[in-house]
Amino acid sequence: MAAHNLKHALFCAIVTLIISYPILGFNLASEGTTVTLEGAKTSTVVGVLLAAVIVFLFQLFRDTLMGSLRQLPAVNPLTNRKPMEQSKRLKLDSVLLTLMIIGALIWPFIASRGAVDLSTLVLIYIMLALGLNVVVGLAGLLDLGYVAFYAVGAYTFALLSQYYGVSFWFALPIGALLAALFGLVLGFPVLRLRGDYLAIVTLGFGEIIRILLNNMTNLTGGPNGIGGIPDPTLFGMEFGRRVKEEGNTSFHETFGIAYSGEHKVIFLYLIALVLAVITAIAIRRLMRMPVGRAWEALREDEIAAKSLGLNRTAVKLSAFTIGAFFAGFAGTVFASKQGFISPESFVFLESAIILAIVVLGGMGSQMGVILAAIAVTILPELAREFSEYRMLIFGAAMVLMMVWRPQGLLPMRRIHIELKKQE
Amino acid sequence: MQDLLYFIQQLINGLTIGSTYALIAIGYTMVYGIIGMINFAHGEIYMIGAYTALIAITGLAALGIAWLPLILIVALVCAMIVSSSMGWAVERVAYRPVRGKHRLIPLISAIGMSIFLQNYVHLAQGSRNIGFPALIEGGFRFGAEDSFQTSISYMQVTIFVTTLVCMTILSLFISRSRIGRACRAVSQDLGMANLLGIDTNRIISATFVIGAALAAVAGLLLGMYYGSIDPLFGFIAGLKAFTAAVLGGIGSIPGAMLGGLILGVAESMTSGYLSGEYKDVVSFGLLILILLFKPTGLLGKPEVEKI
Amino acid sequence: MRTPVKKLVSAVATSIAVMGAGQAAAEIKIGIAGPMTGPVAQYGDMQFSGASMAIEQINANGGVMGEKLVGVEQDDVCDPKQAVTVANNMVNEGVRFVVGHLCSSSTQPASDIYEDEGILMVTPASTSPDITERGYELVFRTIGLDSMQGPVAANYLISQKPERVAVVHDKQQYGEGIATAVRDTLEEGGVEVAMFEGITAGAKDFSSLVTKLRQADVDYVYYGGYHPELGLILRQAQQADLDATFMGPEGVGNKDINTIAGDAAEGLLVTLPPSFDEKDENQELVQAFEEKGEDPSGPFVLTSYTAVQLIADGIEAAESTDPFDVAEALRAGTFQTPIGTVEYDGKGDMESFEFVVYEWHSDGSKTPVN
Repeated sequence: MAAHNLKHALFCAIVTLIISYPILGFNLASEGTTVTLEGAKTSTVVGVLLAAVIVFLFQLFRDTLMGSLRQLPAVNPLTNRKPMEQSKRLKLDSVLLTLMIIGALIWPFIASRGAVDLSTLVLIYIMLALGLNVVVGLAGLLDLGYVAFYAVGAYTFALLSQYYGVSFWFALPIGALLAALFGLVLGFPVLRLRGDYLAIVTLGFGEIIRILLNNMTNLTGGPNGIGGIPDPTLFGMEFGRRVKEEGNTSFHETFGIAYSGEHKVIFLYLIALVLAVITAIAIRRLMRMPVGRAWEALREDEIAAKSLGLNRTAVKLSAFTIGAFFAGFAGTVFASKQGFISPESFVFLESAIILAIVVLGGMGSQMGVILAAIAVTILPELAREFSEYRMLIFGAAMVLMMVWRPQGLLPMRRIHIELKKQE
Repeated sequence: MQDLLYFIQQLINGLTIGSTYALIAIGYTMVYGIIGMINFAHGEIYMIGAYTALIAITGLAALGIAWLPLILIVALVCAMIVSSSMGWAVERVAYRPVRGKHRLIPLISAIGMSIFLQNYVHLAQGSRNIGFPALIEGGFRFGAEDSFQTSISYMQVTIFVTTLVCMTILSLFISRSRIGRACRAVSQDLGMANLLGIDTNRIISATFVIGAALAAVAGLLLGMYYGSIDPLFGFIAGLKAFTAAVLGGIGSIPGAMLGGLILGVAESMTSGYLSGEYKDVVSFGLLILILLFKPTGLLGKPEVEKI
Repeated sequence: MRTPVKKLVSAVATSIAVMGAGQAAAEIKIGIAGPMTGPVAQYGDMQFSGASMAIEQINANGGVMGEKLVGVEQDDVCDPKQAVTVANNMVNEGVRFVVGHLCSSSTQPASDIYEDEGILMVTPASTSPDITERGYELVFRTIGLDSMQGPVAANYLISQKPERVAVVHDKQQYGEGIATAVRDTLEEGGVEVAMFEGITAGAKDFSSLVTKLRQADVDYVYYGGYHPELGLILRQAQQADLDATFMGPEGVGNKDINTIAGDAAEGLLVTLPPSFDEKDENQELVQAFEEKGEDPSGPFVLTSYTAVQLIADGIEAAESTDPFDVAEALRAGTFQTPIGTVEYDGKGDMESFEFVVYEWHSDGSKTPVN
């Protein structure tokens, strides 16, 4: 056994060396017009060697290490606790949610401008993730092109305001409905594909939308994007320093207070908050309605669901359409927050990040998804110190999270009826 | 005549690029065939293969070695060793612990791995595009001297031949060798193969290693053919290769070959006769269209629902 | 409206204002926003090294109006979304003058915020005409526009009396903008534009495009975009024996194009701002860069240096650190800078920014044409 361990440990250490030394140890540099090879700094080389030694030792004593870890008294006192009773949990859930909303309402008035702006982005991601949660978490349809609907929402508002001067409040439902329509039209043919085929087709669809937006320069401005997207108004009051549209008044003049850029940021945040809450509540209600039950039934067992008389296409389409609808919502808010949109905001990585939020949060669980959206958006900002290592850490965190806690931060617990125990 | 020569030229361009897509697509299709997951990090492994090859070539040049076959062989071997080790390590670290969980979990793990590897190379080697020496130059020409000539470069020939050789070896390996037989057994029924005494963990590792080695071959070939590499190019190529694998029917090795060629030719014809801007639209559109009529790809086996 | 929340707000606002005022007495913050990471980080490096050099030198000479300049560097990764976050952070930090951003697509959304918040922005690198088209008071640049550079290139091509020209671009704001300007000028000049086509930025395979160019039998190919793609096109064109001269904007005039294209880069035509680092009056500055181990020859190093210097000069001329006063002073005055004499028009563009046609060589050097 020991010999086998030694062999394995040696092998692992050698692999570590092979995958790290050539890439880290030699740097390709261009000197003048030729490419040359430079040795890396001694510290890097020592680091690589150290890593190999650590891997060697870890693999060598892996069994003992893991064994002793297991024997440690449970470090996490929560591991063995019994699941909370359902009635209690539901109560706690709603109390927490109320607290969160109250906290979120107070937040913009105490936080700095940058923080509020970032929070608006978090709220947009929450909307997106909640919407995708319906498609992936509840209906079990793997959608890798979700960003397309987000783009449809954003571009709808941008184009309507550019060509027809439509305001945010009119564009909001139109953007969402148009995104939903796209979902319906796309969903109809592709939903008969299964699993991973659906994933790649949605991915392709997302890319097609982005490329079309980029290529139709006459309509969408192509890579130049669309600028000058108006901010939302409050009953005809604008938040800018100067009033841009005739007939509107400015917020600070109406109330006789000094102009501050914060008003606009806070107002946008509040709009995003309200929309996010609406999204959360709407989806929460839907989950408890027959259609929501049907989504989950289909995810769990398609054949069983079918044999119970569920219309597979209709159920899948409804999930797809509703998911797209909320993405359109989020897109409109995003366009308004940015004031400028271009196709590069709607790349595949964006879809991947939204999907990561859903999975990290715990598929199907709203609370988890909200937490994950906060974590995924804020962590890279906090890690600005590490600037260069930011995405490296993000990638590693995604992998580690899946390995250690694949069920997500707060896994979904189904509402169920508990049978009375027989005495 | 001119038009015909032009068509042939675009066809050759498309087949060249298509055959490298096929080489990369093998990695996707084999992994999918065995454990049913999309290995999103495969494109990055291909990119790492290209980087290793370039490092080896530059290193040899610095040592003053100029004999072409030696350079090519050393670069190829280095790239294959590093890529395969990477493939093995990635499977070990990121995929084995999540195997058998809900199918989204390995997928997210793979996307995370892909981001990680991209930034790993980015940090180590910088983000700039680095020139890759064209070691094989020159070619054949057809057609009248003063009008459009069809040209086939030696590099294109090398790519064809290498791909064919790799595919032949792989097919023989899968159909004749012991490990190949075990691979097929595992892909048919993992649990049963395990019961029959096949070390499934080993077989799964082997598929990752084989896929990565082929990706490294593609990395070296494409590096020379195109002329530059950067840390992001693996992702785009990976996406294309994955599309090719699905187009041909994921899980099927001839399917990957066919899918790669079709995709390559479609792309080249689009940029040749329409516009390069719409290349990706056409290739993804083609994919969607084919899947609508053949939901499991061109050569994929129809999935049977077992209850 | 007298809610506790409102009180809190005003209390916070006052404390921020007090803090801001307290700091303003001692230092002037100069925000520097550009990509430190991501695919165009190398251009960001030029920007940061130029701007920080200017800050150092100005501080060494006693600062501005007796106050020290402090650089606040932020990374926007050339991503429009992050640019907005960065812009808001700048507001947070109490920055009132910003040098940046680099990519036009980041500069545009960020400038909306700066304009609203009364922050003066000088971009040393964004060349999109849209940025100064919106009538903003506080937006300036120290670089020419795509709409200036394109015609220079096109007029040179017209003077060569070509039969057929192809115009290719990378479908990005910068590349397509210049390419469009080139095409329009060429057509006005009576030159046949045989092809106007986009490619995908980041693509590697241009064999189809090269085949198409061969079929179209063009004398000149103008490429709007950056060096990584043009380098590959040049190389793949050479391998396929395409007999045409290539031309590109300053985004391709980078030594990296030689490592990619090798000797295929010989004879490439590039429109560039005159190399400021080769001017006699800048030699002292060039030396300072070299002592720090930095390379002053990048296209955005001295423009960034100039951006900081203009802000400093503007403050001195206005005798005020209020961005609106400074903007007025910048529009009114004439300034001597490393990139030459700078005068601004009403929009915030320089009155004149010269572009020169260079011929590029395979050893990475360049010589002015005619």
